[in-house]
Amino acid sequence: MTAPFANIKKQLMFPQALAASLEIIINQVLSLGSANSSLEKLGQKTLTLTLAELGFPLSFTVTSDIGVNNKALLVSSLTERADCTINTSITTLRELQAKQQLTELIKQDKLDVTGDIKVAQKFANMAQNLDIDWQSELANHIGDVATHKLMQLGKTIAAKFNFAATQIQADASEYVVHEQRLVITKNQIEHFNQAVNDVSKDVMALEARIARLNKSSNN
Amino acid sequence: MSATDKNQLPDTAHTSADSTTHFGYQTIDKEDKVSMVAGVFHSVAKQYDIMNDLMSFGIHRLWKRFTIDASGVRPGNNVLDLAGGTGDLTAKFSQLVGKQGKVVLADINSSMLNVGRDKLRDKGLVQNIDYVQANAQYLPFEDNSFDIVTIAFGLRNVTDKDMALRSIYRVLKPGGRLLVLEFSKPEHELINKAYDFYSFNILPKIGELVAKDGDSYQYLAESIRMHPDQETLKTMLDNAGFEQTSFKNLTGGVVALHKGYKF
Repeated sequence: MTAPFANIKKQLMFPQALAASLEIIINQVLSLGSANSSLEKLGQKTLTLTLAELGFPLSFTVTSDIGVNNKALLVSSLTERADCTINTSITTLRELQAKQQLTELIKQDKLDVTGDIKVAQKFANMAQNLDIDWQSELANHIGDVATHKLMQLGKTIAAKFNFAATQIQADASEYVVHEQRLVITKNQIEHFNQAVNDVSKDVMALEARIARLNKSSNN
Repeated sequence: MSATDKNQLPDTAHTSADSTTHFGYQTIDKEDKVSMVAGVFHSVAKQYDIMNDLMSFGIHRLWKRFTIDASGVRPGNNVLDLAGGTGDLTAKFSQLVGKQGKVVLADINSSMLNVGRDKLRDKGLVQNIDYVQANAQYLPFEDNSFDIVTIAFGLRNVTDKDMALRSIYRVLKPGGRLLVLEFSKPEHELINKAYDFYSFNILPKIGELVAKDGDSYQYLAESIRMHPDQETLKTMLDNAGFEQTSFKNLTGGVVALHKGYKF
C-alpha cells in the first residue's frame, strides 16, 4: 500500500468506523441469543484479531457490566490489553471454521497465536453456540405473514443467485477452456502427466538396455 | 463579527502575559472568561449531544474512538476525562478499565456534568465513575494520580492553557499519558475554505434552529480559529514538561489528537 493512501485511510478512520459498525452488529446479535453465561465466563478478557487483508487489529473486549445497556462486547483497535492475539487472514479463518484444523494451520504458518489460546476457544465457542431463531425475531417486528413471505422470497432469490452463479461459472469455463483455449482441463493435465510418465519409463528402459548392450560389447 | 472579517484575527501575541484573553474573537479580561464560557455551556448542555452529531455528521464519535484506541488503556487504570462534558469518553473508559479501575469525569460546568451524569447512569454505568466539578488550571487531585488524562474539545475553552497543561502534568503518574483531542488547522487550503464557510455560515444557523442559540455556536467557530495550531500546541505540551509529544491529524486536520507522556 502506498504511503499517501495509507494516510488517507488513517485520516478517514476506517478502523474506527469498522469497529463501531461491528460493535453495534455483534451486540445486537448477542442480545438476541443466550450468550450471557458464555460472556460471563470470559470476564473482561480481550481477543485481538489481526487480519492480513485489513492491516490493523480488531480487539474484542467483554465488558464488566454484561447485560447493561445492551453492550456486552466492545470492539476497538487497542492492542495493549490483549489476552490472546491471532494473526491470520480471512481465508484461513474460513478454513478454521470449516475443518477445526487449528494445529495444522499453525504448522503451515497460516495462523499465529500469542497468549492464552483458551480465550480464543471460548470466543469461538460462544459464536458457535449462539442459537438465534431469526424468523421469530423478524416476526416480532414485521408479523408472521410478512416474515413467511419474506423468507420465501429470500429462498427464491438465493436459489436464483445460486443457479446464476453456476451458469456463469459453466459459461465462463466453456469460453476459457474450449473457445479461447486459454487454460486446459483437469483431464488434459492428467493425460499429459500420464504421457510424461510413459516417456520417462520408456527412457529408463532404453537407458537400461543401452547399459546392458555396452556391458556385453565390452565383455 | 461577520464572516467577511473573520480572517482578521485579533493579535494573540499580547494576550498570554497580560490580564486579557480571548473569548472567540473578542479580547476580554481573563477573569471574565470562565463565566462567559460557562454561560455558553449552560445554554447548550441539554442539546450538546444532538448538536455534536448534527454539526460533525456523527464523525465526532470516530474521533473519540480514535482517542480511545490511542490511549492504550488497560484494566485497572485510573483515567481522568477532563472537560468530559456529556461523558462519551468516560462511558468507553469505564467499560475498558473494568471494576479494578476508575474513571473521573471532570468538567468546570455543572450543567454539562449533570447531563453527563444522568446519561451515564441511564446507561447503567455507575460502578467505577466519579464526578468532579473542576477547573483544569487547578485540578483538585493529588500528584501522580492518573495513568491517562484526556481532554476532548475542552482545552480551547480554558483561560490559561499553559497552566492547565502544567496542572495535568502534575496529576499524571510517571509513565502516564495525556491525550488532547481538539479542533485544529486543516492541512489543505481547499478544506480550510470549505470549513470556514461551514463554520461561519451554516453552524450558527444549525445552532439557532436546534439549540435556539446561534451565538454560542458562533463562539464555537471563533474559538476554534483562535485555538493554537498543531505545531504550537505540541510546543505547549513540550513546555509543560511532556515528553515524546506527537500529534495526528484527523479528517484533514479539522481535528488533531496530541499525545504526550510524563516520565
